[in-house]
Amino acid sequence: MNEKNTKHILSILVDNEPGVLARVVGLFSGRGYNIESLSVSEVDSHKFLSRITIVTSGTKLIVDQIKAQLKKLIPVHDLEEISESKNFLGKELILIKLNVRKKSNIDIKRRLEKFSVEILVDNEVELIIQFAGTPIEITKLLNLLKPYKVIEQTRSGLVSMALGFNYIKK
Amino acid sequence: MKKISGARIVIETLIQENVKVIFGYPGGAVLPIYDELFKQNKIRHILVRHEQGAVHAAEGYARSTGKVGVVLVTSGPGATNTVTGLADAMMDSVPVVCISGQVPTHMIGNDAFQEADIVGITRPCTKHNYLVKNVEKLAGAIHSAFYIAKNGRPGPVLVDIPKDIQTFNSVYRGKRLTKRISYYKPNIKPKSDDIDRIVEMLKKSVKPIFYVGGGTVNSGLSASNHLHDIIKKTGFPCTQTLMGLGAFPTSDKQFIGMLGMHGTYEANMSMHQSDLLICVGARFDDRITGKVSGFSPKSKKIHLDIDSSSFNKSVNVDLTVQGDLGAILKLINERIQKKKIVFQKNKIKKWWDQINKWRGKNCLKFKNSNEIIKPQFAIQKLDQLTKEFEPFFTTEVGQHQMWAAQFLTFNKPKHWMTSGGLGTMGYGLPAAMGVQIAHPNSLVIDVAGEASILMNIQEMSTIKQYRLPVKVFILNNHYMGMVRQWQELLHGNRLSESYMDSLPDFVKLAESFGAVGLQITKPGDLDGLIKEMIKIKGPVICDVVVDPSENCFPMIPSGSSHNQMLLGPDDKMDGEISEEGMVLV
Repeated sequence: MNEKNTKHILSILVDNEPGVLARVVGLFSGRGYNIESLSVSEVDSHKFLSRITIVTSGTKLIVDQIKAQLKKLIPVHDLEEISESKNFLGKELILIKLNVRKKSNIDIKRRLEKFSVEILVDNEVELIIQFAGTPIEITKLLNLLKPYKVIEQTRSGLVSMALGFNYIKK
Repeated sequence: MKKISGARIVIETLIQENVKVIFGYPGGAVLPIYDELFKQNKIRHILVRHEQGAVHAAEGYARSTGKVGVVLVTSGPGATNTVTGLADAMMDSVPVVCISGQVPTHMIGNDAFQEADIVGITRPCTKHNYLVKNVEKLAGAIHSAFYIAKNGRPGPVLVDIPKDIQTFNSVYRGKRLTKRISYYKPNIKPKSDDIDRIVEMLKKSVKPIFYVGGGTVNSGLSASNHLHDIIKKTGFPCTQTLMGLGAFPTSDKQFIGMLGMHGTYEANMSMHQSDLLICVGARFDDRITGKVSGFSPKSKKIHLDIDSSSFNKSVNVDLTVQGDLGAILKLINERIQKKKIVFQKNKIKKWWDQINKWRGKNCLKFKNSNEIIKPQFAIQKLDQLTKEFEPFFTTEVGQHQMWAAQFLTFNKPKHWMTSGGLGTMGYGLPAAMGVQIAHPNSLVIDVAGEASILMNIQEMSTIKQYRLPVKVFILNNHYMGMVRQWQELLHGNRLSESYMDSLPDFVKLAESFGAVGLQITKPGDLDGLIKEMIKIKGPVICDVVVDPSENCFPMIPSGSSHNQMLLGPDDKMDGEISEEGMVLV
């Protein structure tokens, strides 16, 4: 038996109705599964469908059980384990606010050039930047910014998509 | 088309769902529905005395008929009182639709009088639930609820209807033209790919066993019939779970007893030693498996179930087929027929010899007495004297439940209603009430303990009101027997709070509810008592005062495997219960 805990990305297409997120999240908490990251938004406003991306961890047996339990939820239309496909994308969005009152922000900006960072606010006191990338890239960016004064940051959960035409069905 | 009120829509949808009976209790938030109920005569309403009783009654009705049981309660406490019943129905896969009133939509979230977020509360203990905030969607929600409750793996569905929605008007076009509001398409058609492999495995096995669960009963008569055919053709032994009893006749020679914690020695040993285990609609529950690492270590395992989340949940299996059991078993049965496969009985002769040796232990034996009634003896007598009436049995939860499972005969499915998964004390009396409503001319007996029966004793009043001839057979040992048994076994015989002090006089209690009360204390009076109980036309409570010290055996102590059973009070455990075992329930 494969006892190793590994990360898995699940993409779930659900009815966009009140309580649907509570059903999904409640299933995880009620059965003792992990949620490492979660993101949800409507993806089809005509059919009222939302797509939830959950990053979870567990043995293969546990993740199979998670998937089976999720599929039993009535509002769940389809479920795809993105991390099972050979090629997939996984991106997060981060907003970072830096205090630039004491240091010149030219230095920071130069360092950020390597990253395709978008500067949203730039004044004498603060610099707010936006970056979308893989979790690893985001960690790299945060490491790069360590010497600077990060006042706050906020990060979306992972959104993910597999390559090819075997996509999640409606 | 004419617009009708939401409350009227509720009644019309129920009529179209062919609902004949609902179990309920009125209150402020469902008054419009009760008003509509008053104006019609197609649906019979049974007024329970507590909403938990309503759900258990609906469960009893559903489990004994295969139809959906329907409950109607008010908001707040009315709805929260149904939670135990809904959780019970969820665990045992019983199709129930519970309609609850709610405070009007504009008051929701305001901590209004008798407001409870019942949709939030029941989310984990229902198969699905709805809060209907738009009267246009009311009919769709109710039809969806029925569809979901009975299709796929059955379960309870709650529909919460705010009072204003009940008074708003909308058009109802009938079931056929009403769009269900949920997308739900359970796969019930099995793939036939693996059927050949299964038949091959059946053919090869020298130590096979059928492990049959409640899913077989739920699937319906066709599943039971095909299973019977297959078991007869193969000549294999069959064990059944607590929920499965009756799917295959328990008086058949190939039935080797219930399995699990209080199962028979031969059933558990066979599970442990078998080389092929065919699980039919069961879920490898912890009461069945004991220590998972020691569960049936040498067998190949086939799992047939409608719910794919039951596959490989606690026990890894080699082959699974998902779908309706009736259809799966039909495929297997027909394949055997088509290929003209003859199972060589001598191939499994050694296996049967071994099983018969285990049987020889006579693991259900007990020391009978002329002085004091042994609970096992009481159940044996009850079985003997009622068999000809093909009675429906319900139970409460505890020792009496296990003795009933061990000693009663179940030759037909849907005649045995017990709280298996949740283990709800107080289940049996209201469940018996629901069974009796569905089968007014049948003998319905609730085998009870003196502790459990007090948990929903108020339903005696309902039983009286509707002249239901329910028989309550209390094995009165003055203890929460199963609690005491565990305290003896695991907690140094410190009987913390398990003694039932200040019990009522059950005879007077019965009489006060307008029923007949009978009490006996001597084994010689059992025959007379049971015969009289059957003869009496109305409800009866029998207070059978039994040996207070008797325990339920065989038993697999928690954290142990099938081959580590205790066969009787003199049987000692090998060493202490492990720490792992101590934390198990």
